[in-house]
Amino acid sequence: MTEAKPKRNRRRLLKAGAGGLLLPLALAARQAPAQGGAKPFAGVTLNVSCWSATYPKLLADYLPEFTERTGIKVNYDTPGFPVYNQRADLELSTKGSAFDVLNVTFIYTSRWIGAGWFTPLDDYIKDANKTPASWDFNDILPGSLAPMRDKAGRLYGISWLTDALIAGAGRFDLFKSAGLGMPDTFGEMESSLKAVHNKDNVPGFLTENHWGWTFIPYLQGYGGNVFRGPPDDLMPTLDTPEVAEAAEFFARIVVGYGPEGAAGYTYDQAVEALRAGRANYSTNNQVFLALMGADGSKVRNTVNFGQCPRGPKGRFPGIASHGWGIPVGAKNKDASWEFIKWSMSKDLLVRMADKHGLGSVTRRSIIESPAYKAKMVINGVDVGQLFLETLKFSAQGHMAYRTVHVYPQVNAQITQAVGRVVSGQMKAKESFALAQRNAIADLKRAGVKL
Amino acid sequence: MSGAAPPAAARNLEEERRRALFLGLLPALVVLSAITIVPAVFLVVTSLTPLNLTMPQTAWDFSAPLVNYLELLEDPRFHNSLLVQAKLSAGTVVLQLLVGLGVALLLDADTRIRRLARSGFLIPMVLPPIVVGIIWKVIFTVDVSPFHRFMAWTGMPVGSILTNPDLALLALVLVEAWEWFPFTMLVVLAALQTIPASPVEAARIDGASAWQMFRYVTLPYIRATLVVAGLFRLIDSIKAFPLIFVLTDGGPGDVTEVTNYYAYRQAFTFSLWGYGSAIATLLVAGIFLLSWLIDRLTGRMHGEAA
Repeated sequence: MTEAKPKRNRRRLLKAGAGGLLLPLALAARQAPAQGGAKPFAGVTLNVSCWSATYPKLLADYLPEFTERTGIKVNYDTPGFPVYNQRADLELSTKGSAFDVLNVTFIYTSRWIGAGWFTPLDDYIKDANKTPASWDFNDILPGSLAPMRDKAGRLYGISWLTDALIAGAGRFDLFKSAGLGMPDTFGEMESSLKAVHNKDNVPGFLTENHWGWTFIPYLQGYGGNVFRGPPDDLMPTLDTPEVAEAAEFFARIVVGYGPEGAAGYTYDQAVEALRAGRANYSTNNQVFLALMGADGSKVRNTVNFGQCPRGPKGRFPGIASHGWGIPVGAKNKDASWEFIKWSMSKDLLVRMADKHGLGSVTRRSIIESPAYKAKMVINGVDVGQLFLETLKFSAQGHMAYRTVHVYPQVNAQITQAVGRVVSGQMKAKESFALAQRNAIADLKRAGVKL
Repeated sequence: MSGAAPPAAARNLEEERRRALFLGLLPALVVLSAITIVPAVFLVVTSLTPLNLTMPQTAWDFSAPLVNYLELLEDPRFHNSLLVQAKLSAGTVVLQLLVGLGVALLLDADTRIRRLARSGFLIPMVLPPIVVGIIWKVIFTVDVSPFHRFMAWTGMPVGSILTNPDLALLALVLVEAWEWFPFTMLVVLAALQTIPASPVEAARIDGASAWQMFRYVTLPYIRATLVVAGLFRLIDSIKAFPLIFVLTDGGPGDVTEVTNYYAYRQAFTFSLWGYGSAIATLLVAGIFLLSWLIDRLTGRMHGEAA
């Protein structure tokens, strides 16, 4: 925390013994900026929390700058993803005032926004006194803001991250040696992996075992879906032939071309294995896979990227947004908005991108700037452009399944169902029929009318 | 005069004494109630509601108080979690008792090396469970594990254990036993110190073998200690959570999803606090039952010893 300068001035003046005459002047000098509006929130303390990702972690280093500028102190923490979500879910449900700014987690957007646990931000954005035009709200990618809106179109979060599922091959040299490019279809993917698997002792495929995220592009690529008609018709559709076919394909890829124990890799383990060249091809989040081209990666000179492959029914890359929001119970909402404005200002994001290589931004002006583009060209591949192209698929509406308030239940069922298939406990059809039954029971328990 | 009522002054004194004792105990009782009984009552009350965090009004919905318990009767995942719990508890308690007893017998002598070994064997028990989980996560992760590399080097490669549905639970049993066998070792060592020298010496003079010495002299003396240690470990095994969280997340599929992990999922992942509380209430009831059993057994054994 930084201490406001006027306080130090006052202390020095007191020490100098000029008390009697100068003290009132010094106090007046301290109060003047606040009364004049320069630091209207001086002395306010905000409690801010977000899950641990690159951007929120980098932001911690810049907080003294915010305090210096506004006089607002910030208690800030970035726990792990599941811990953050549980803590935030519990706190938000009480409509308490423990937090002033929280991350609106993608998979909880419907639950948290639908339950009225966040404050609408539209009035802040429209009010020129609170948000100058130079902040340029319209610069933020509309696609990234879409999940932060309710059915009436009111906005509850300012997205700091939009992540898209892409494909990456750390040892693309092995693909090239086999005369292959980046696979474009599921069929090409399987035949390519067959050709490169265990070449140079590198297993062909690896992704994280959060199957409720990494399996869905395959499920949808075969024509399946999670719910019958999300977000309104939430009848699970996990027992369809399309889902079984997708699960069989996915299990063949994970087990047949993965390293030993591939089903046990969490995202951090998978990323490290890919960066170390202990696995070759993956489909996962752009922010994770881009790390194959970052400092310390053993595959930065051989890596290549491409679109997530398409299945018989099309290409359905996962797209997710996370944004800053103000809990409805927050006591200092105006100060909270100051924090959000500052943390999402162009100036700050540009500096983060320049100095720390922040690769996940939601402002179009930054993504399209030459400096950013140059940074996002990894081993000759324009990953920034790939990201923008991937975002266009969101127009298909295929991510609607993920923003319903009971997705966590179905997510757990899908993760367990794929786990049973890849570990050989059950056939795909049997496992997903069980997942369907369990999901229906879980949704009914959560009060969903099916 | 025997049988006569005590004089009024003595009765008053006794009442005063009781009142003073009660008043002295009162602060402790209040604190104890606040930290144990009130949360337990709240848990039971919550289990009688369909409390869902996304619908706060359900916190006071007592229209169908037994609905969670009735659903549990028909919930195959809950039944499976009980079975997994039984397997985990049985496996880990038996292994802890055998290893703890074996190591205690080996270390039952006052030499410098054995004293050092005793301290060394205590290390797993004093490590935070999450640290234990991380240590074993590394050991079980094929591509970074020294164990897997060694086995591969010997020409006997071992596949992934944690993602193998036949081995994942066994792996948890081994890790849990590794972490907690020192508890059994400690209590058995303490019990071994209490065995009088004369029966041991008599058996030795009679030419008893090492096995006969153990079977007919040592074991009767430490039997009560072993039973109590086993029951304590049984209660603790029901609370297994951090290792499962770090190592398997209940998987693959649901082969390592024990009952309290299932309760955690329902409450913290799905926000179904009413249902999660019902599972937790049944767990607490089970633990109370075991505690009562311990009390009865220890009471009976002390009676026998007397």
